[in-house]
Amino acid sequence: MIDVVINYFTQPWQTTILLCVVFACLSSGVLSPIVVSSRMAFFSDAVAHSTLAGVALGMLLGVGSPVTTMIAFAVIVALLIATLRQYTTLALDTLLGVAMAGSLAFGVLIYEKVRGYSDLHSYLFGSVSLLGTEDLVFLAANAVLALLMVGLFANKFLLVAVSRPLAQARGLPVARYEYLLIVVLGLVVAVGVRAVGLLLVNALLIVPAATSRNLSRSVAGMFWGSVAVALTAGLAGLFLSDWLDFAASPGIVAAAVILFLVSQLLRPLLGHHVAE
Amino acid sequence: MADEPLLQLTNVTVEAGGKALVRDVSFTLGRGEMIALIGPNGAGKTTLLRAILGMVRYRGKIAIGGRIGYVPQRLQYDRTLPMTVLEFMALTLQSSPVMFGIRRATRRRALELLEHVGATRLARSSLGGLSGGELQRVMLAGALHGAPELLLLDEPAAGVDIEGEATFLELIHRQVHERGATVVLVSHDLSVVSDITDRVICLNVDLKCEGKAKDLLTAERIAEVFGGHKAVYGHHHHH
Repeated sequence: MIDVVINYFTQPWQTTILLCVVFACLSSGVLSPIVVSSRMAFFSDAVAHSTLAGVALGMLLGVGSPVTTMIAFAVIVALLIATLRQYTTLALDTLLGVAMAGSLAFGVLIYEKVRGYSDLHSYLFGSVSLLGTEDLVFLAANAVLALLMVGLFANKFLLVAVSRPLAQARGLPVARYEYLLIVVLGLVVAVGVRAVGLLLVNALLIVPAATSRNLSRSVAGMFWGSVAVALTAGLAGLFLSDWLDFAASPGIVAAAVILFLVSQLLRPLLGHHVAE
Repeated sequence: MADEPLLQLTNVTVEAGGKALVRDVSFTLGRGEMIALIGPNGAGKTTLLRAILGMVRYRGKIAIGGRIGYVPQRLQYDRTLPMTVLEFMALTLQSSPVMFGIRRATRRRALELLEHVGATRLARSSLGGLSGGELQRVMLAGALHGAPELLLLDEPAAGVDIEGEATFLELIHRQVHERGATVVLVSHDLSVVSDITDRVICLNVDLKCEGKAKDLLTAERIAEVFGGHKAVYGHHHHH
């Protein structure tokens, strides 16, 4: 096990993978409290599913790198959901369910035509062992974007999360902030899916804050707890899956979920019962 | 300047789906005045406040000569969100993210505001664990930031027990006296507001009546405003 860990610090290609995982976990861990508090967990899921259609479309159109169409498609789907939300009486989860089913089906149909079925696996679970310098650049940019979002607007997002009408009454342009969050989430999810797969991106946007919420009574506790959970799960998942010869992405997700279960067990011990 | 009204509404109408929620309402509010806006449920009281706050489209004219502090009606919020009262106050008191720490100046200001409403001891409490009365105090403390000249309070006593209700209204009364604040207090309960307000405005889509509480509280008038439900609201015989 020690050898496995040491290799990540001595072999350059493995160091790249390690840094990619750290950046992916950092951006998700930082945004997770905002996603969970704003009840956007299902939203990021829907956007993540739409990236497949984006990639497939890029390949079909013969665009040089499918990254462009992938990000563009994710942001368009995100904005579409946000706009539809204003004009429909349907519940948000219903709307997201339709968007997710639609974009996934659409994506798989085109994907099958252009590339066959084989690559779907890497789309779902990523291919952590193949991560390279280009991924590292994208994931580092993702982390910077996530930190900037939190650094500049966290208080606003949190006020909206506490109460939309209150934020409105205090003169906050609520809709503008919601669109901003949606676009940034679209970007972060699209970049993340390409590098580490849909399952991991989704899990890391939801599980870290779900875990830290169980154990904290303050925003600060929830935030730092979420970052810690994401990074711990990322590193533990990466090292253990390498050692035990598993795929890294599901390994990281499993580690995060185990941390969540532990937090759920610890919760009553800390006396954190939900106030009714 | 002192005689200039703080709030002036001229023929304000708010419509939604072709139906008037508030119709052709005009009134003027002087500085340091405390008025009650009363009317049954669905009379357009909250809508009128939202128009004053600029949250809904309206026709007519609303002139405001100062900053507004607002305490919403019985705030519905996510009680499971881990957030202390101090952090909640800091959300609007500082621009740096609350999770990166609460600045000393923010803490001082937040405690000062909480002290105005007798809620300093709540600073470290969880926002989700507050009782109705405690939450209203915290909301009032938040609304007092920026030393607003105009306080809009939407059913501030709803969801608060009787004892808490009395102390909360005393608190508001103190704001008027000590700070010279101007207050619009929305209520569907005449008995609560008639003792402490200078003037009462009755609203049921249209403006139904306006004047001193005691002069207005005749059985006929109440029946007119509340559409015959006077038994529920008619506390005037106490006076």
